[in-house]
Formats: sequence, structure tokens, C-alpha cells
Amino acid sequence: MNAGQYISGVAHIGLIGWALLGGTFKPAPEPFEVTEVSMISSEEFDAMTAPTEAPSLDTDLAALTPPDPEVTEPEPPQAEAPDPAPVIAEPDAAAPPPEPEETPDVAALLPPEPPGEIEDVAPVLVPPVEAPVTTAPDISDRPQTRPTTRVAPEPVAPPDPDVKIDDIAQEEAVDDGAADIQREQQEQTAEEEAATEIVTEAEASSSAPSTSVRPRTRPTQVARTEPEPDTGTKKAVNEALAQALAGGQAETETPARLSGPRLNFSEKEALRVAVGSCWVVDPGARSSSVTVTVAVTLDRNGLVEGNVVRLVSSEGGTDEMVEVAFRKARRAILRCQKQGFPLPPEKYEQWREIEMTFNPEKMRIK
Amino acid sequence: MMMRILTLLAAFVALSLPMTVQAGPLRIEITEGVIEPLPFAAPDFVAESGAARQLAQDLAQVVADDLAGTGLFRQIPDSAFISQISSFSSPVQFADWKAINAQALITGAVDLKPGGRLVVKFRLYDVFAGQELGSGLQFAGTREGWRRMAHKVADTVYSRITGEGGYFDSRVVYVAETGPKGDRKKRLAIMDYDGANVQYLTDSSSIVLAPRFSPTGDRILYTSYETGFPRIYLLDVASVRRRVLEEQDGTMSFAPRFGPDGQAVVYSVTRGGNTDIYRMNLATGQTRRLTSAPSIETAPSFSPDGSKIVFESDRSGTQQLYVMDAQGGEPRRISFGQGRYGTPVWSPRGDLIAFTKQSKGRFHIGVMRTDGSEERLLTASFLDEGPTWSPNGRVIMFTRETQGAGGQSSLYSVDITGRNLKRLKTESGASDPAWSPLQN
Repeated sequence: MNAGQYISGVAHIGLIGWALLGGTFKPAPEPFEVTEVSMISSEEFDAMTAPTEAPSLDTDLAALTPPDPEVTEPEPPQAEAPDPAPVIAEPDAAAPPPEPEETPDVAALLPPEPPGEIEDVAPVLVPPVEAPVTTAPDISDRPQTRPTTRVAPEPVAPPDPDVKIDDIAQEEAVDDGAADIQREQQEQTAEEEAATEIVTEAEASSSAPSTSVRPRTRPTQVARTEPEPDTGTKKAVNEALAQALAGGQAETETPARLSGPRLNFSEKEALRVAVGSCWVVDPGARSSSVTVTVAVTLDRNGLVEGNVVRLVSSEGGTDEMVEVAFRKARRAILRCQKQGFPLPPEKYEQWREIEMTFNPEKMRIK
Repeated sequence: MMMRILTLLAAFVALSLPMTVQAGPLRIEITEGVIEPLPFAAPDFVAESGAARQLAQDLAQVVADDLAGTGLFRQIPDSAFISQISSFSSPVQFADWKAINAQALITGAVDLKPGGRLVVKFRLYDVFAGQELGSGLQFAGTREGWRRMAHKVADTVYSRITGEGGYFDSRVVYVAETGPKGDRKKRLAIMDYDGANVQYLTDSSSIVLAPRFSPTGDRILYTSYETGFPRIYLLDVASVRRRVLEEQDGTMSFAPRFGPDGQAVVYSVTRGGNTDIYRMNLATGQTRRLTSAPSIETAPSFSPDGSKIVFESDRSGTQQLYVMDAQGGEPRRISFGQGRYGTPVWSPRGDLIAFTKQSKGRFHIGVMRTDGSEERLLTASFLDEGPTWSPNGRVIMFTRETQGAGGQSSLYSVDITGRNLKRLKTESGASDPAWSPLQN
């Protein structure tokens, strides 16, 4: 046992003892004060007690009893004599009033002495302590995967990938046919892969990128690469390229490719809106079920060359309906070209030839 | 491993190629257009003789009114014209018409020959294409027929622009109504589709109902209470001669309608408190009962190919629409909406059925597919009923009656899109319209 426990034990025993025997050790009561009593007469006693007498109370309980309900004519209540006015005892004239002090000490009430001089100087503001600037981290703290917590007592070699993981490593039992007793087929197992030490979350390397990956600006021109001597690697790349491009080329009959940046979404949308705003659709007409694709060639000003709009293909409807749908499409293009369609001049090669499909399906009444 | 990386690299390059290299023309798809009337210019036709000056103006105005009345075209006022058409053969200054956004230009010339022969010719131009739309046409007739010639010009213009047949050179037979509601006089009347050239076919001595044109427009079936009971009459429009179609004691026959061949007629007969649909061959007079249910079957209407009949029946407890084979057989219910359906009429196009619907205290004219799908209500009022199709199946005419003791019946038309609702001008109250086919 240590000293603390000794002290605690002694203190507890002392406290219990004081609680039980505290009264025994009470100090002796103070001795009575003895004062002299002078004898007074009964008159003097009456004179002393008269002002302090309480007014006499009417103790007649009958007056408080409820009236008898059988009495038809209740008697008028008798006027009770008013309570005698309390007698205010006059102060004892014989007792002289206390003499006021001639020169009261008012020093405590005097205003304090003004300080010497007051300078009209603005206080200097103490600049607040700047809060530490907390900059947003470049990379958000993403939850990281916990590393494995299992640590083998000894580093083990990783098992073959086709081996079943088990708590106990054992070899595969294969029936060699030599034994008389056919043994149960047993699968080869290996111990689970384990590390040599525990890697905590803080120590583990994050797989998150150190900086955000932003889309890079599109190059204005595609650099033409000079042909290089064909090597084995190049051949494989070319074969893969040809394989990847096979589908796209199959869809388009035009093998020619246009170089330069393509129109972006907003540029295409502007053209779409410009033509659509002039495309008059009659939802009640049978031609509203016809989809036509027309082709135009634009000059560098965005105007249709020769006002020629060619019908490329159509879907649905009779020949007459197709003709009407084509005329509507042509009218939309020619009417809304105005001073030229709003297309970027630097991408002229991309929009020189345009095929527009007019599909009224969404506008048809159903 | 190296090959895998190279393959992946090649695929990446291949996918990134369309960003910079485009194969073929730029392709865009436009799915949102605008719904607005097509602006056209119809300057006064050129009068090629002094006598034709007024006719030249009137003809151009009727053509313009026909087109603008469809709601699909908008006439550009003459005051906006930059150039004038002074000669029918002179070339058109397309730039001047483009400048006022005229998408179609109609030019014409009128000549009134000394013998009273009227010759009207016209051309239609697609202004923005800078070319003539179709070739010029010429009509010749009498001076009295100038309105019909104007309607024919308008029909041709309408057809060339929309690709569908017109309906301007057509007529409407209806019941003309006069007098207060409690003592209303009714008689058959016929007029041009626009309310002009009204002629009365019967007097007002007896109540007449539900006139229907034959497919050729030369005959009319209607119901009359001349004998005190409803009877079906067949009237020849040219001679105004008529005959009773069927007369059997103790029966009532009504709601007749021609078949597309002009020989078959379907109608309702009430016998012994039961109403069924019958079919008659006008040439032979043979009749055939098509329905035999204890309920009320009436208002039959042939499909344009004559293979089906749509009618109304209350066999399900409420008035609904049914379709059956033209030779009879088990009908198939096609209306399932809330309310009561009646007076179905098959569209000349064959794709829609117009009907009257009563629902929640209001009447509607609506259309639905022939299988009952895609129901659309086109109108709503105190009382709309009795739809009839224009010859091209684009417009529906019907009766609208106003509420109250002084309520009047009048004829209205509405496009099948629900747009362009308008009242036809008639000399008096009018009800029960039936649209004729295009005249020859």
C-alpha cells in the first residue's frame, strides 16, 4: 500500500469518528448574561404595553355561521360597531432625540480630484490578431483504403494466383493410383498474402492525383507527322489504328477527311437554331411525317452557293409529301441564310459542305 | 505487354481523331421548327380587258381569302409591295418580294371575252427558291362562275404548297333555321364552303334533319318529319326532286349516310322501340340489318374504303363509339373516355374519326384514331355537335348553339390541330352541316 492509501484511510477514520463523537467534544455553552431588573408599577406596565396592544377582534362565531335556509325573511344584518381605531402611540416625549453630529464627515461624498491634464489624442487601436489563413487544400482528402492489418510472423512468399487461399498451406493431394486406399481429393491451398509490417492510413500513399486534371485546350492545327520507317512496333500500331477506324469509315461513304478543328457544340447549335427558326412545320399536314436530308455548299460568307439545295434522302411519306417536305427545308435554309449563316470563318473547311436533316417527329400532333 | 500498350495507344489515337479530322460534310439534325402561317403575296390579277378590271380584283381577293382562311397562310397587304405585277408574262423581281418576306407569290390575269366567256390564268412562285412552283394554269368559264374559278385557283395553290388537296371549291348543305327557339322553322339549304351562293332546297313546312352529301355531291340524303314520323329522303341537287328512301309502317328511319361508292346507304331504323342499323343498296333497294342488339345503335358512318362502319351505341350502358365490319358482325368498342360519345364521322383521309363528346356538362368536338387512341378534343362550349369533314380531311365543320331561350345555332369550323376556330357567315341560323366533296 502506498502513502496515499494510508492518508486516505486515516482521513476516513477521522471523519467517521468526528461524526460519531463530535457532540462530546462540543465546547461548553456560554455563561448566562446577568442584567439588573428594576421593579415597575402596574400603571407603568400598562402605559408601556398599551400602544402595542392589538385591536380587539370580534370573537363572536355565531356571526360567521351561514343563515338558516328555512328562514324565509332573513333578518337584516345588524350593523356591527366599527372597529376601534388603532391607537398610535406617541413617542416618548421624555426620551430626548439623538443629537446630530455637528460636522458630518462628507469627505467620502466629495468628487475625486481631477487628473492633471487630459490629452485629446485618439487612442491607438491595437490591430486585431489576424486569424491564420486557412487555404483550401489543393487536393481533397479522399478516404483511402485501409491497408491490410494482418501481419504474418514471418514474411511469406506470395502464393500462385491459381491457388486457393486458406489458413493453412497444404499441398495438393493427387491420386497416383499406386495406393490401395483411395484418398479424398484434396485441393492445394496456400496462406493468405501478408505484409511484413502494418501500414497506417497516414503512411499509406494516396492514389488520388496531386493536381486536378483539367481538359487541355484543343490544338488549332493537327501537326502532320512525317512518315517514319516501318518497324515492328509501328506496324502493330498501324494495324490497331486501322482496326479502330474500320467502323467509322464503313458508315461514311465519303472517304475524304477534312482537316482543321471541328465546330464545337455552340457553333453547331447556332446553325441549328438559325435554320430551325425559319423551318415552318404544319403539324396537321401529312408531310409532317416525312424526314428529309438536304445538302448545301456554302461559300466563305456562309451563303448557299447558287441557292442550290439538294435532296439527299428522305424517310416516310409519298413522293408528293417528300417533295413538300423538301421545299419546306429548302425554304428554311434559303430564307434564314440572310447575310450568311453565323459560322466561324477559320473553320470554313468544316462547314463548307453541310447536310441538314429536318425531322418533324417531335412537332407532329399525336 | 508492349503490344497491349501499343494497342491501347492506337485506340486512344483513333478515338481522338474525330476531334480534329472530319469525314464527309458537316451533319446537323433540326427537330424544332416553328408553327406559323406562310406569308404570301397575291397582288390584283392583271385585267387583260377593260371589262375584267373589277373581276381581276375580286378574283385575287377571293383567292387570298381562301388561303388566309385556312390559318396556314398569311396575306401580305398590297401596301407593303415594293414592285407591282403589271404584266402576267413579265419576269418576277424576286428580290423585291424577298424583301417583304413573301414566301409565295401568286400572279394572275383575267380576261372577259365578248361572248361572256371568262378566262383566268395564274402562276405560283417560290420566292426564296427564285423559281416557279409548278406550271401556270388557266381556267375558263362563265362570268357567273367567277367565284368557283377563284376557288379553283386557291385549291391549286394550296395543293402545290401543302402537298394536299384543297377544299375551297366545295359546298355545304345544312339546315337553315329561322324563328324563335320554341317555334323554329327549318329548311334545307346549300351554299359554297365560305357561305356564298346560298340556295334553299326545301320549304319550312316540315322539320328536316341531318342532310348528307353523296360522294359525287349531286344527291343529298336527309330526314324529314313530313308525315309526322321521321323518314329518309333522297334529293337530287340539280333538279331538287326527291323520293322517300324507305317507308314501312310503324317504323322510324333516320341518320342516313352514303357509302363511298354512292350506292350503299346506312341508316337507323326504330322498330318496336329498338333501334338498329340497316344497310340499303340504292340500285336494288335491298336492305340488310347490320346490328341486332336491344340497345340503340345509330349514326353510322363508312370508312373511306367502305370496309368498316363506325357508329354510336349505348349497349354498354353509356353512349360510346363502336366499329364493325361494313357487312355487319361483332362491333368493337373504340371509345373509353369519360362522358358520352356520339355522331362519329370517318375522315376522308381514313386516319381519324371525328365525334361529339358530352362530358361534365359541356360538349366537345374531337378526333381520335380509328382504334380509339390519341383522342384530342378540339372545341368546348355549351353545345357543339354534328361534325363533318372537309374534302381533304383537314377541317371540321360543326354546329354550335348558344345558351338560353334566345340561343342561336350557327356553323363553325376548326382545323384538326385545334387552331383556326371560326364562325361561318350564314344568312340565318344554321345547323347540321355536311361538307360536299370537291366539285368537278
